[in-house]
Amino acid sequence: MDLLYTPEQQAFRAEVRAWMEAHVPKEPLPTLEGRVGFDAHVAWERTLASGNWGMVTWPEVYGGRGLDLIRWLIFEEEYYRAGAPLRANQNGIFLLGPTIMEFGTDEQKARFLTPMANGEVMWAQAWSEPNAGSDMAAIRSRAVREGDDYVISGQKTWSSRAAFADWGFGLFRTDPESKRHKGLSFILVPLDAPGVTIRPIRQLHGETGFAEIFFDEVRVPAANRIAGEGEGWNVAMATAGFERGLMLRSPARFQAAAKRLVELYREREADASPAAREAVVKAWAEAEAYALNTYKVASTVMAGGKIGAEASLNKIFWSELDRALHRTAMSLMGAAAELKAVGGRVNQWLEGYIFSLSGPIYAGSNEIQRNIVAERLLGLPRLGAG
Amino acid sequence: MEFSFTQDQIELRDGVRAFLDGTHGPEVLRRLDAEGGRDPAIWRSLVEMGLTGLIVPEAQGGLGLGLIEAVLVAVELGRADVSEPIVDTALVAPRLIADEARLAAIAVGELKVALAHRVNPWVADADQAGLVLGGAATGERLESADPLRRLFAVERADADPAMLDLSALTAAAQLVGASERMLALATDYAKDREQFGQPIGAFQAIKHHLASVAVALEFARPVLWRAAWALDHGHARAPVHVSHAKLAATDAAMQAAETAIQVHGAMGYTYEVDLHYWMKRAWALAGTWGDRAFHLRRLDAAVIDGAMAIGPDQTFETGMQHG
Ligand SMILES: Cc1cc2nc3c(=O)[nH]c(=O)nc-3n(C[C@H](O)[C@H](O)[C@H](O)COP(=O)(O)OP(=O)(O)OC[C@H]3O[C@@H](n4cnc5c(N)ncnc54)[C@H](O)[C@@H]3O)c2cc1C
Repeated sequence: MDLLYTPEQQAFRAEVRAWMEAHVPKEPLPTLEGRVGFDAHVAWERTLASGNWGMVTWPEVYGGRGLDLIRWLIFEEEYYRAGAPLRANQNGIFLLGPTIMEFGTDEQKARFLTPMANGEVMWAQAWSEPNAGSDMAAIRSRAVREGDDYVISGQKTWSSRAAFADWGFGLFRTDPESKRHKGLSFILVPLDAPGVTIRPIRQLHGETGFAEIFFDEVRVPAANRIAGEGEGWNVAMATAGFERGLMLRSPARFQAAAKRLVELYREREADASPAAREAVVKAWAEAEAYALNTYKVASTVMAGGKIGAEASLNKIFWSELDRALHRTAMSLMGAAAELKAVGGRVNQWLEGYIFSLSGPIYAGSNEIQRNIVAERLLGLPRLGAG
Repeated sequence: MEFSFTQDQIELRDGVRAFLDGTHGPEVLRRLDAEGGRDPAIWRSLVEMGLTGLIVPEAQGGLGLGLIEAVLVAVELGRADVSEPIVDTALVAPRLIADEARLAAIAVGELKVALAHRVNPWVADADQAGLVLGGAATGERLESADPLRRLFAVERADADPAMLDLSALTAAAQLVGASERMLALATDYAKDREQFGQPIGAFQAIKHHLASVAVALEFARPVLWRAAWALDHGHARAPVHVSHAKLAATDAAMQAAETAIQVHGAMGYTYEVDLHYWMKRAWALAGTWGDRAFHLRRLDAAVIDGAMAIGPDQTFETGMQHG
């Protein structure tokens, strides 16, 4: 155990800091969940790519810098320290990218990864269906093989930013006789293909942050399938591991929010309760614990270790931390909490609180995560299995 | 930057765990409880295991190891619920004593040390100790909720900050170990106990209770390790990190204890299951070497009043670096 940064790591931090200081937009961008904000965020993705910061851990041939996970953490710290915008392409770079890296062919890597890192193609995740949320193995949308193509029909829903994205990655039933986890395939679909209809759904905050996707005999080449036909479930589970585990929720994001929370407390101290003070410290302490755990996991992975069901512990922790942190901020703001804008600026705490309510639901609800922890880490039996 | 244990550290931890699993099971706790004392044979076995010399400098016959190792061992002592004054004597006192003869006596297991400090109204195992560091105890014995603890009233106690931080750190480590054991006991019980024709562990309410404990524990551990590392390296923020560790470990342990008794049902409310020894130890450790309020104040003074730089680039001391 050596909790000091090497001179090379410090130099890297200085390099990121200088670049961010020169390039991060001075004013926060409008929300990613609306058209205008999404476009502004895409522009930021391209600015990042111009500095070669699109996806620092990826190999250089795919637009990355080939950096290790400790450097990724340092990058993220500087990113959030500078107040840089959320990543518009998070579904691509954090979920699909690592999936293609693990399961894709060389052609698929060459074709999809670089445009992803460069912010040229935005991705949506198309897994959930109206009757297949937590019970994802119940999906019914199908892809029928015809020669070198698949013909896709069915419906997906709650697909984040699908209204603005260019492509979707979905799970489809390629074996019509199959049940549950079997007979599913992981297929990439351009969202402007003939037969695709997108219907935006208005979210809690009023923006069209997610959408339904209808597929009516949509034809895509079989070359768009990741891994073998019928192997989609295993691929999707690996993707879900990335979603719950390290990549999607870098700790710097929560540390930056905790720092802002402390500042909010200082402004509001005269009206704050002792309970609020404790909640602020607790939010800070948990953001810190999350960061420490991430460094620990990064060290383990770099030493050749694997993350399995532990990713579920992670997902429960960050999502509940995020909700508590924003709930605390809302209570500190008192009457101003309900305002959509405060002092001419968007009320980031309200926006963040609303968003934090979705954390325990998406990426596999926390109830599902607790089942996974109990069964796979603690070894408890499944109901009715005895 | 490297946040993991060396092979030697892992072997030390595994060795101590295997040894204590073999020699210090719940039947030992029951016997000590019935006999109401300490067992010289247990002390000797801890000495033979090499624990008393762990952090004593090599020049005085010890192994000269650091606080990471001390914390790894303290977790195991908490998991086994060892009550001998081994933590105070072997994992705290050597860092507070300069006298070479005393250090050498600790290393060979001849000197037991008790610790008096102003945040603690009592001294543990004062009657066993050849030395009460930081004050003096009276002969008046007080009864603890934890039947294996032996507490004595204080005549005088100083306020040595180094003793406080080392002890709060090792108390946090023992709380983590106790929590691990309570989670394991409750999980095992949930696999065995059947109701409605199922092991109760198949029911989601039970699963989710236990999974929540696993989450709390997972995120208390790295906080503890950072505190140990920081204290070992004389890091300026180490006392705050120690308070963070004590809080995280206390909260995890109280949650583990309450969950474990709930999962055990009425059996948990009896003296017949093993759980209660660890639960009571957790209550004791939660209040000793600074209770929740004490450590919360130290943390909030640093975080809110601004003594500590915070934010995404401040997880580790950035002022210190290699080279
Ligand atoms: C903001 C947001 C963004 C999203 N983005 C995407 C996306 O980009 N792509 C995509 O495919 N999907 C996305 N989703 C959908 C998300 O994955 C699902 O909402 C989630 O899997 C839960 O499914 P459900 O909504 O159908 O809830 P349900 O499955 O109907 O669950 C309702 C409640 O019942 C509980 N429950 C269900 N089954 C069990 C069980 N076995 N044990 C215990 N409790 C249970 C759940 O935990 C939950 O509390 C998004 C959702 C949100 C809120």
